[in-house]
Amino acid sequence: MNNFTVDILTPSAIIAKDIPAEALLVPTERGQINILKDHTHIITKLSTGMMSVFGGADDPDRFFSITTGICKVLDNKIMVLANVAEEAGEVSKERAEKALANSESKLKSSDGLSDTQIEKYRRKAERAKLRIQLSEFVRNRNI
Amino acid sequence: MANIKELKKKIKSTKGTFKITSAMKLVSAAKLNRAQIAIQNSRPYAKELEETIKTVSALVQNYSHEFLVESDSRKSALLVISSNKGLCGGYNSQLAKKVREFTANSDEELEFYFVGKKVKDLVKNEVTITKEYTFEKQEPSYNEMVDLSSELAEKFKSGEIGRIYVAYNIFESAIAFEPCVKQVLPMALAEKEKEELRDKFPFDFKYEPAPKVLLDSLIPQTYISSIYTSLLDAIAAEHGSRMSSMDSAASNCKELIDNLTIKMNKLRQAAITTELIEVVSGAESLKG
Repeated sequence: MNNFTVDILTPSAIIAKDIPAEALLVPTERGQINILKDHTHIITKLSTGMMSVFGGADDPDRFFSITTGICKVLDNKIMVLANVAEEAGEVSKERAEKALANSESKLKSSDGLSDTQIEKYRRKAERAKLRIQLSEFVRNRNI
Repeated sequence: MANIKELKKKIKSTKGTFKITSAMKLVSAAKLNRAQIAIQNSRPYAKELEETIKTVSALVQNYSHEFLVESDSRKSALLVISSNKGLCGGYNSQLAKKVREFTANSDEELEFYFVGKKVKDLVKNEVTITKEYTFEKQEPSYNEMVDLSSELAEKFKSGEIGRIYVAYNIFESAIAFEPCVKQVLPMALAEKEKEELRDKFPFDFKYEPAPKVLLDSLIPQTYISSIYTSLLDAIAAEHGSRMSSMDSAASNCKELIDNLTIKMNKLRQAAITTELIEVVSGAESLKG
């Protein structure tokens, strides 16, 4: 029995549309929240983290990496507007590791970087870490 | 009447044109494909974001953001997004027509900003060009658009300009586009629209963090996303328009080549016939 549907949209792609879910875990700015059926109408800001969509008995569970955005819950329809989102299965670990090493080396020799650049690399590193974590998580789950 | 040599030359040059137009068509088709995916993927996001902003700003009381307030400045900015290259049918001329129409009907003092030089060239004698944006690559990147939008937004915030419009072609399908002028700032809602939204949502949302904090970060994002989607629309429309006009150019070329070849063959046949008659009649007269 599925109770509500989830859409995940980003400025450059439709990551998922109308995926059925029984429970949803989203990382918000104030910590992770769990959304179940008939949740109250809510609009909340998301932080960077893993989002889990639990499909219940009939549908698979799906996992996504989410980087900031908002989540809107309205009439058992959940709209996740993220700046960047990726499904866990599509994450390439090597690429994430490369990105992490790259941004960390940039941060180490941080002379000459502007504040916004430092902030940018910090966020990149954070995202890369998350993606590595996510890919490991999925692999462990599948074994 | 043209002689055979001239016709042959013509056929050769038309064949050259045919090759170029069909190659351009293929290139545009590939680019269109990419642009189409980009716009179709970003539209739902932009639409949803805009709707959320509208709903929230209608529901939340006592909130005001500088992007939502009508300013009393009579100056407005019009950002015209056109292409840098020609050979794309009515793409630029139709947009220029729309811009002229808008300028004629507007009682505001308009400042013109251009992305892409084609429409600028078309209207440069009629309007004063405030600024022309150029980009590293052929098409501006997201970050470049963010810079551009922020620059305009700064002017809006300081009260220098009261409104920002964007003129661009909306991508409808590979063969159709629609020139339009859209107001991006202020994002004010008409009272009627507000009423409708309030009727539609008799309850309020729960906000986390407070609605003010949420809107403060979302509104600038919506503004940028709305300008960026206009750009994506314009790019997709450009490639679509170029593809269809190159397609018709290529088929025109083909037709022309066929006609010219028939004409040339006819002439050649006529020349052969005359020569034959001459030979035969010469022989006849010798027999005489």
